[in-house]
Amino acid sequence: MEKVIEIHGLTKTYKNGRGIKNLNLEIYKGDIFGFLGPNGSGKTTAMKIMTGLMKADSGEVKLFGYNIVDQYEKAMERVGCIIETAESYPYLTAYENLKLFSRYYKNVDDNRINEVLELTGIIKYRNEKAKNFSLGMKQRLGLSAAILSKPDLVILDEPLNSLDIEGMIEIRKLIKRLAETEQTTFFISSHLIHDVELTCTRIGILYEGKLLNVDNMQNILANYATLENYFISEVEKNGRI
Amino acid sequence: MGGYKASVINELDKMYKKKKMIVILIISVVVILIGKLISFGMSTVGVGVFKESTVFPISVLSVLSNTLLPLFTALVAIDLFAGEFSHNTMKITLTRPVSRFKLFTAKITAIAFFVLINLLSVMVLSTIVSSICNFSSITLVGITRIVISYIVTLLPIMVLALVVVFLSNIFKSGTAVFFLSVLLYLVCFVMGRIFAPYSSLFITSMLDWHIHWVSDAKLLWKITREFLIMLGYGIIFFTAGFYLFDKRDL
Repeated sequence: MEKVIEIHGLTKTYKNGRGIKNLNLEIYKGDIFGFLGPNGSGKTTAMKIMTGLMKADSGEVKLFGYNIVDQYEKAMERVGCIIETAESYPYLTAYENLKLFSRYYKNVDDNRINEVLELTGIIKYRNEKAKNFSLGMKQRLGLSAAILSKPDLVILDEPLNSLDIEGMIEIRKLIKRLAETEQTTFFISSHLIHDVELTCTRIGILYEGKLLNVDNMQNILANYATLENYFISEVEKNGRI
Repeated sequence: MGGYKASVINELDKMYKKKKMIVILIISVVVILIGKLISFGMSTVGVGVFKESTVFPISVLSVLSNTLLPLFTALVAIDLFAGEFSHNTMKITLTRPVSRFKLFTAKITAIAFFVLINLLSVMVLSTIVSSICNFSSITLVGITRIVISYIVTLLPIMVLALVVVFLSNIFKSGTAVFFLSVLLYLVCFVMGRIFAPYSSLFITSMLDWHIHWVSDAKLLWKITREFLIMLGYGIIFFTAGFYLFDKRDL
């Protein structure tokens, strides 16, 4: 199976002592990987390093075999992401925001922009400025931007934040459909453990900067009643809760 | 190259869509009209301010290059760097397939484009206003002098912009960068006057270097020396600004 993400010995320590320690992980094509962990466990830090927004103290990240530091453009060519919060230019409309991003890709035209706005359910707000958007609409616009170029890898940090129940279901369906039909790989962090259980095929648990375990969802649900039970059990093994 | 081109177009697109940039251009143009009206008023009471039509555009440039243009350029540079860092929009572009070097260079190119457009609009308008008032004194040599002086002003203004970009990559707050830039400008301006023999070390004293280009006296040595000093400052601040931009964690 093709390795989409390779993380070796990734370490980043902040002044307050938090961060990530010796993270090793491999994600394969078609995976919907759920990255679980409590607040401050290092999920966003890992994702920021994976997308080049932050430099690691040591270790390396490869996306599609390209090193994120030395071959940034090649590594990010087939990647779409939302990191921390879904940001957009408030003085531009939804269409204008996506038009800016489309210029970095050869295969994105106005039809594709309309298509992603349709997929994320904000086509009727196409010509409305992002400053007038609710949090949920901003999140949908961020998702549109992430999948705009039909990326092979989508990295999403808390993608269901601010979405209503209907929105959560729609986005969950969209993620599953893209993974099934286009073999898109997803790397998702979320606090919403129930949604992760319904969406993801593999799970990694990060706790105090250390990756405790990685397992398939099928194995997890064969041994535990819910993903929540598995999460608690894994954390307990490491001496807390 | 594709990423650089896309970034330049995006930066210009964002500048255009932000009405702030249009307002800046309008203010620059209004200043010329006010300047001309004042000079008109003075000449009607017997005080000859501009004898030739070619003097007015160069005088406008002298005022503009020392006051409004550095101020507006600083505002644009702050908006493109510190503004995007503080509004968290920098990461939108940084997670696209474009290197930080290309993005940094594209932003500098966009600032240069803004300065050039500002200079050219002021040049065209001031020349038109001047010719309407005194058409008979227009000569080809005069027009050439105006064009040269406006074009060469791009260099010192861009060096100032690079200093502001450097500061924008140190501080997160755009307001802090703005006040620090204004303070630094004033300090350099005063120091250049107090230590006149060493004024060429202060970039603010080079904002008038277009005068050397259109002067009757041969000042090739002075032009070359000032060009090299500005080039040196430009390289230092571009490199330092990019170093900070590249190392910055978001």
